[in-house]
Amino acid sequence: MKEQKFENYFGRKIAVDASMHIYAFMVVVGRTGDQTLTDEAGNVTSHLQGMFFRTVKMLESGMKPVFVFDGKAPTLKSDELAKRYSKRQTATTDLETAKETGTKEDVEKYSKRTVRVTREHNAECRRLLQLLGVPIIDAPSEAEAQCASLCSQGLVYGIATEDMDALTFATPRLIRHLMSPAAANKPVTEFEYDQVLAELDLTADQFVDLCILCGCDYTEKIGNIGPFRALQLIKKHGSLEATLAALDPEKYNIPEPFPYKEAKELFLNPEVLKPENIPPMKWTSPDLDGLLEFLVKEKSFNEERVRSAIQRVTAAKSKSNQGRLDSFFGPSKTPPSQAPKRKEAGKVVPPPKKGKLGGFGKKK
Amino acid sequence: MFEARLAQGALLKKVVEAIKDLIEDANFDCNSSGFSLQAMDSSHVSLVALSLRADGFEHYRCDRNVSMGMKLASLSKILKCANGDDAITMKSEDNGDTITFMFESPEQERLSEFDLKLMDIDSEHLGIPDNEYDATVKLPAAEFQRIVKDLSTIGDTVEISVTKDAVKFGTTGDIGNANIMCRQNKAADKPDESTEIDINEAVSLTFALRYLNSFAKATPLSTHAVLKLSKELPILVEYHIPEVGRLAFYLAPKIEDEDSMRD
Repeated sequence: MKEQKFENYFGRKIAVDASMHIYAFMVVVGRTGDQTLTDEAGNVTSHLQGMFFRTVKMLESGMKPVFVFDGKAPTLKSDELAKRYSKRQTATTDLETAKETGTKEDVEKYSKRTVRVTREHNAECRRLLQLLGVPIIDAPSEAEAQCASLCSQGLVYGIATEDMDALTFATPRLIRHLMSPAAANKPVTEFEYDQVLAELDLTADQFVDLCILCGCDYTEKIGNIGPFRALQLIKKHGSLEATLAALDPEKYNIPEPFPYKEAKELFLNPEVLKPENIPPMKWTSPDLDGLLEFLVKEKSFNEERVRSAIQRVTAAKSKSNQGRLDSFFGPSKTPPSQAPKRKEAGKVVPPPKKGKLGGFGKKK
Repeated sequence: MFEARLAQGALLKKVVEAIKDLIEDANFDCNSSGFSLQAMDSSHVSLVALSLRADGFEHYRCDRNVSMGMKLASLSKILKCANGDDAITMKSEDNGDTITFMFESPEQERLSEFDLKLMDIDSEHLGIPDNEYDATVKLPAAEFQRIVKDLSTIGDTVEISVTKDAVKFGTTGDIGNANIMCRQNKAADKPDESTEIDINEAVSLTFALRYLNSFAKATPLSTHAVLKLSKELPILVEYHIPEVGRLAFYLAPKIEDEDSMRD
């Protein structure tokens, strides 16, 4: 886990979990109370606003983002999705009550919970990205799994997401806060899968077990087990099966059903595009006229801001053509001096709090 | 323990001055064969490789391989306190968390000691393939420094083209363009001013002038700068430090074709 400067990603190809970020933008961007950014007709434009300026920021720094969209949700997720749907329903009713009786904070809280990304929102974001000249990949199923596979194949340097589930899919390198709003000012943080495993002292298999035990998108959480306890349990018993067998049913309520085997299968062998089916990734110049037509005319964006943003992207062209030294010279297999660091005092690295680090929380 | 004494302390001062603006902090690796450093700048575009051979020191002792992390700005502050003609001795105990710099004046009448706290630095060591280069240009270091400085007033990037008997540096900017050509010149009577070109294949590559300007800060270390170029590979700019070692810089080229980007 290390912090990086946003600017240091120039020239890097980055897979972005588009669906997750669209949701996050809709929750956060330009929100006051239950009001979000809209165009003249009253349609929400928060997702476009967020997507546009964030993507521009990436292009401006010379990054090469690839956006990956969710495909069909795995059947296993349908329970979770149904639950989210009903939560949204509750939130909608709560919102109505809050509007009448509650405080402003309540209105905002419940209205955030009612956010739903529709097919139109996705389509609009796609259109925006195409106009910006950024490649898009459609995942057959989960976007994170597809991102992870792109990264494992070396097609991208890392993946930008806030959802730690991506690590469960064995993403070699996960980058957080890359797409978070500039105002939040969070440092970009990189997680390397191999290092995470090494620090937790777990095998890849055990790591998946740990994540399931902590609660994932596919299974219900077991009450009273947080990330730390989960780590202890997996370490003690070696696997999820053994842990479940050893758990005291009096104390811990294992939800019924608890399809952990299926969940594990999904994490270990997710449905992704075959390498030969991955479309070639091409970055082209932004289509200024198209963007003005779409964003300014249709979506009531400020014309000047759009123009100046695109100008910045064009001006930054020279950044993206600067080669990186580490793309020519690989990491050395045998460093000339295997010298131990002077101060080998064991740095204590807290285990990543799976699930809790979810940032923007659940999506869809 | 590690102990090394360099009679010409100015050399160490010059090395640190040459690299301190390029890299913030770095691990100095010491083993029985010598004292070395490899570090990339924060944007991972260029790399500094320094090696000072054990036999280049007046006295050199390294019982155990150690890697000492230092902040270059702090190191530079300390070395600025040494006079140009001082001898410098570096000392560090095994498992110590400081390194001591001792400066002795030539007549031994003044002796100063500075301790620098060491730090833990995560560094990525890159394996640099020992390839043969398509073209090697050896030109006076001051000449190279002047070329990159002059061109920087016009543009941001320089195209370096090497042919059989000449090397050309060209740039384009808002106000116009500039070209500087140096012909091969093996003047036997003035070896310090010679320009030599050794070529297997003509090459032409583009680089950011900002970095080359930084590299040229090593000019005081050597009479000549050696540029090594190969198609689509980083340039190597070498400064040989007579009898002690070398300071080398690598810089990734600008890439014209988007699709040829590697990751």
